[in-house]
Amino acid sequence: MKGYLVLEDGTVFEGTPFGFVKDVVGEVVFSTGMTGYQESITDPSYCGQILVSAYPLIGNYGVSRAYSQSSRVQVWGYAVREICDHPSHRLSDRSIDSFLQEHEVPGIHGIDTRELIRRIRDSGTMMGGITSGDPGAMVEKVKASRRPESSNLVSMVSTRDTIPFEREGAKRVVVYDCGVKENIMLELRSRFEVVQVPYDTPPEKVRELEPDGIFITNGPGDPAHPEMVSKTVAALSRLKDEYPMMGICLGNQLLALMLGAKTFKLKFGHRGVNQPVEFDGGVIITSQNHGFAVERDSAEDAGLDVTFTNLNDGTVEGIRHRELPIFSVQFHPEAHAGPMDANFLFDRFKQMLEGD
Amino acid sequence: MPKRQDIERIMVIGSGPIVIGQAAEFDFSGSQACKSLREEGYTTILVNSNPATIQTDREMADIVYVEPLDLATIIKIIQKERVQGVMSGMGGQTALNLCSELAETGALERLGVELLGSQPRAIALSEDRELFRKTMLDLNEAIPKSKTVNNIDEAKAAVPEIGGYPVLVRPAFTLGGTGGGIANNERELEDIAGRGLIYSRIRQVLIEESVIGWKEFEYEVIRDGNDNCIIVCNMENLDPMGIHTGDSIVVAPAQTLSDTDHQVLRSASLKIIRALGIEGGANIQFAVHPGTGEYRVIEVNPRVSRSSALASKATGYPIARVAAKIAVGKTLDEIPNAVTGKTCAAFEPAIDYAVIKIPRWPFDKFRTVDRTLGTQMKSTGEVMAIGRSVEEALLKAVRSLEIDRIGLEPEKWSSEEIERELARATDIRLYVIAESLRRGMDPTRVCELTGWDRFFVRKITNLIGMEDELRKHDASPKTIAKAKRMGFSDEYISALSGMSENAVRDLRRKSSTFATFKMVDTCAGEFEAETPYFYSTYERECEARPSKNKTVIIVGSGPIRIGQGIEFDYCCVHGALAIKEENFDAVIVNNNPETVSTDFDISTRLYFDPITVEDVLNVIDKEEADGIVLQFGGQTAINLALPLQKHLKGRKTRILGTPPDSVDLAEDRKKFSKLMDELGIPQPKSGTGFSFEEVRSLADDIGYPVLIRPSYVLGGRAMEIVYNEAELETYMRSAAKVSKKHPILVDKYLTNAVEIDVDAVSDGTEVYIGGILEHIEEAGVHSGDATMVLPPVTLTPETMDEVRTITRKVALALKTVGLMNLQLALKDGRIFMLEANPRASRTVPIISKATGVPLAKVAMKVMLGRTLKELGLTGEPNLGHFAVKASVFPFLKLTGVDSILGPEMKSTGEVMGIDREYPAAVWKALTAAGQRLPKTGNVYISVADADKPVAAELASRLAGMGFGVYATKGTATAIRDKGVSATTVYMISEKTSPDAISVMRKGLVNMVINTPTEASGARRDGYMMRRLAVELEIPMFTTIKGASAAVMAMEHAAKGDTTVSDLASFHGQPAGSSD
Repeated sequence: MKGYLVLEDGTVFEGTPFGFVKDVVGEVVFSTGMTGYQESITDPSYCGQILVSAYPLIGNYGVSRAYSQSSRVQVWGYAVREICDHPSHRLSDRSIDSFLQEHEVPGIHGIDTRELIRRIRDSGTMMGGITSGDPGAMVEKVKASRRPESSNLVSMVSTRDTIPFEREGAKRVVVYDCGVKENIMLELRSRFEVVQVPYDTPPEKVRELEPDGIFITNGPGDPAHPEMVSKTVAALSRLKDEYPMMGICLGNQLLALMLGAKTFKLKFGHRGVNQPVEFDGGVIITSQNHGFAVERDSAEDAGLDVTFTNLNDGTVEGIRHRELPIFSVQFHPEAHAGPMDANFLFDRFKQMLEGD
Repeated sequence: MPKRQDIERIMVIGSGPIVIGQAAEFDFSGSQACKSLREEGYTTILVNSNPATIQTDREMADIVYVEPLDLATIIKIIQKERVQGVMSGMGGQTALNLCSELAETGALERLGVELLGSQPRAIALSEDRELFRKTMLDLNEAIPKSKTVNNIDEAKAAVPEIGGYPVLVRPAFTLGGTGGGIANNERELEDIAGRGLIYSRIRQVLIEESVIGWKEFEYEVIRDGNDNCIIVCNMENLDPMGIHTGDSIVVAPAQTLSDTDHQVLRSASLKIIRALGIEGGANIQFAVHPGTGEYRVIEVNPRVSRSSALASKATGYPIARVAAKIAVGKTLDEIPNAVTGKTCAAFEPAIDYAVIKIPRWPFDKFRTVDRTLGTQMKSTGEVMAIGRSVEEALLKAVRSLEIDRIGLEPEKWSSEEIERELARATDIRLYVIAESLRRGMDPTRVCELTGWDRFFVRKITNLIGMEDELRKHDASPKTIAKAKRMGFSDEYISALSGMSENAVRDLRRKSSTFATFKMVDTCAGEFEAETPYFYSTYERECEARPSKNKTVIIVGSGPIRIGQGIEFDYCCVHGALAIKEENFDAVIVNNNPETVSTDFDISTRLYFDPITVEDVLNVIDKEEADGIVLQFGGQTAINLALPLQKHLKGRKTRILGTPPDSVDLAEDRKKFSKLMDELGIPQPKSGTGFSFEEVRSLADDIGYPVLIRPSYVLGGRAMEIVYNEAELETYMRSAAKVSKKHPILVDKYLTNAVEIDVDAVSDGTEVYIGGILEHIEEAGVHSGDATMVLPPVTLTPETMDEVRTITRKVALALKTVGLMNLQLALKDGRIFMLEANPRASRTVPIISKATGVPLAKVAMKVMLGRTLKELGLTGEPNLGHFAVKASVFPFLKLTGVDSILGPEMKSTGEVMGIDREYPAAVWKALTAAGQRLPKTGNVYISVADADKPVAAELASRLAGMGFGVYATKGTATAIRDKGVSATTVYMISEKTSPDAISVMRKGLVNMVINTPTEASGARRDGYMMRRLAVELEIPMFTTIKGASAAVMAMEHAAKGDTTVSDLASFHGQPAGSSD
């Protein structure tokens, strides 16, 4: 069977379908990480997107329960050069193909992913579609489609319930779940008593939980989406003088908006595990997955310290409030996929709550 | 941090001659370091004994010393050049050990010099087994249980403590695992640990828990002075632990590590490099248990290495160049990424292809050597291939090896052989795996026997499946397209499908299945890259664009092997530089990751691809080049001349320089003989025999001794000099096969002749003689192995004139445009033609270094249309000094090889000794080649009858210097007749004490002079004695003329210290003045 990946500029890539066979339209983005495909495709931040892996060999070590970042495959489509139908790893319990099938997500393999990535790099992120039907019709459908970020994507991936995680003698942290990755939860739970709450939890509800601090997670879409602004940003704004806060990725952007800075959409985003970030005169290698970023000038105008900067393009990778105990980073200190160079940030949050 | 301002003069130490374990990778790293330091404004002083290196070019470093790499010489140069800093990590283990010695002996302090890059403490922490162990334990990093021991008894006692046999024996401070091994029982332990203790610089070995069969991974790490650390690349060995990584097939990046697995090893790597305090590049090896995922840290190399060269080529990240800048205080964020031109060096490369490295082993040359692979590295070189799949990269790598394979085709193995060869790692295991799967062996069984991960075995299964498809079906365009994407060459497809190669090509054309080129850009396409570094694959988009500029392609020389070393890479690099000097685009095609030619800085565009007609044609198709150069890349490139000439008929791209027909003419014995007759140049009598009878009567007719060269070799030595019919019969019975299909060439062997090598450049009208080299050993020693001197020391002016006349005549008759090498023999005043090679030879670099005239560059410019006159080259260089070439041999690492020199080449590399005095030049060359001539002690002499008079005279001179003499009976008598006292030692076969072996074992012998004799018992005795000398590293001479030269050098050395001089002082002209 033939499958196609098409772009809004009319480019058609012919390949072979894998996973679940169905048509899908989404924003086409690429990741350069050579490992961590399972972590990526289960990362809720990819909601609304068709992911392209730059590394051509995907599925080599199979899929394992241990590596998922959420309970399901979150990407809307997955495009790769070659899938491995004979994975080899002590923890593997299935192939990438069956994993996508199980979660009813379509994939395509056998396409020139490097050409696709160069196209996105040069033209910027584009809408695209995967189909096993008529590619021409799919191009039309893609052209007519709205950007996924025009919807409130966070509402699709946030928890609907408030979920407490006990930890004796530890500080309590309320986690605003905008589509949290499993490893953020693990890092937090290893240090705090955690209460995971929906992204639109009102401030009163948070106060009732009597937290020592608030954590805002990663998630998909545009931080400046009207619903995010009216719900999450507004709530955080009312809580900011009462609680220390830490944010990651979308959490970083939401905190920036809350503190008066602006966000913008990057040409093709940062997705990979090799992004160099400068801080304190040193460099760490970070895991990243974001299409939006905080505007540097607006952050400085809002009286925020830009504490982390991307060495490749100079974009803001982290901010800190000058008086309030609030800080956030654009990258992923929880790794999975990616390096653990920035893991110390969770400890920093802990110290903040414990009053060091 | 900005670069350091308090130092100005920096020494870079090279790695010396090519040996197993240290090949061209350190020319690459040293050259990059020099460039990088000069870029920062430092004055660089480069020291290396190997003249066939780019780093010893005066364009690379400011001041170049071609001198022996020993402590005394290094100190002299430091003093003379007022060196302030010494780079510790660019010249492999050789340079690192010298730096350790500089630190340990207090020389650094005394001279007021500091090490740049890794500091003495970091080197000691990584290299000293006990310190390393302690450091890892402090870090809570798991290492194999082990015990450091200083003698055999301690070794035996250590075994139960670490959990019993098998155990690994690792000597401290050696390269390429010299002297290491796996001991399965006490007897093996005694043997291996005993040897290991001898090889270790500090007489120390480690007895270690065996992690044999675990998976092996390597991490290439860089750290700067600000404690920033990055991983450049990780690599996975297909062969499990137990096989030296230099002898393993390697894939980059790792394929079977999950992200979590990878991050655990990555974090461990960073922790380790920080704890060791390494500044610059380092390599960390891990063993990972396939079932549990637990790991052990195996080893850290606190320097750039063969693996870092591979990682640099695999990712495009120039490790040595960055490490050099770190050594002078810069931090990663201050160093630009040369590939993207936009980002900086502080990032981790992302790649979007798979890279396979396969080692190149010398077993085709050394047929008697044990091919089993273990902890002692045996390969001389390697190839790398890039593909969009593992299968593609693997097949590209196989056809880059030049081992007469187009793919994974089988040999005639029995089922028993297959089982055995799967379990025993050798150079052929990859092909045995393929054949076992072809015959239907259960892949699980293959994994069990080989220790390979089933991921890789499955990749081989995929290739076998494709083979089947091609064999069974009418190969449709679709099937062919699929095969091309899996890396099958047209030739392989043709062999499987039965279609002609042309038919395959036609089908491809019909379905538009053409090679495309993708860029190696360090960032998987995330950023636009400036570096034109490409590999071929079968994809949709091609990123290579032909240039508007005039373009010339140079075909490289492939993997380093015996007979084709770094010299040809040197010529290719010079060719590329000359093309650029003439304002053309220089394109290089090569597949050797160790070399300078595959540094993307050298050419205008680099194609990292196999060197076959098809692969090179792909590049030609894309580049639409004006010319292609085949005469620099050794046999690899020249072999393409005739087929390419056919394909290029009527096309824009021309083969530059000497026409391919002339190459053919020079190689075809009949045609060449005819030409020599016409020119009136004598040749040794010769003939071709198609049966034993014919060979015998030919030999009779020609007259013994004769040189026998079979076209098909059964085993043992391919070429041999035989002195009588009895020997001929023995040889024909044991070593050669003769038939209509496999003729045997018989040449008159000229005894006691002097061999002469000439390298010249011709523009078609004029001939410039670059240099005339006289062999120090008598003719019959392969010119690649021979010790030679430039200019000649014994030839008369008349002979020299005749050599010149012959050179001019032959160069013009062969229509040479570019380089030509002649091998001549002088016998009783007559000059005989042995060989003419209208291409770059092994001796081009040494002549260029000795004379200051860059012959390869000159040749390239001549090929581009310049005349010698325009280039200012007339006559011949007039030298006020002597350059001596000496060779180094792999005997120590390859057990089972006899160290006698003969017509088959055995050396891996070469050194040059250069001095105003001939004996001093000989002394330097021999010292640099590892023949550390003694100043006191005893000499053991045992020579053939014909050599006895000279041997006696040498003995008398040695006695005069205070040496004691041991000699075998006959030799001792001859020596005593000269009035010199000598102690008689006996052959083992004589069963009388003292025998040669025991006196050597007692450490009483400091030098050996042994010329082979056919006397009964002597052959075996001689072999055992020579092996022992090799293993004990006693200087040894197996020709009487070689021994005479050594004695002369010793007399010179006894008179006083030798001096050091930089190359420019010999040439008296500014660097780089090539035209």
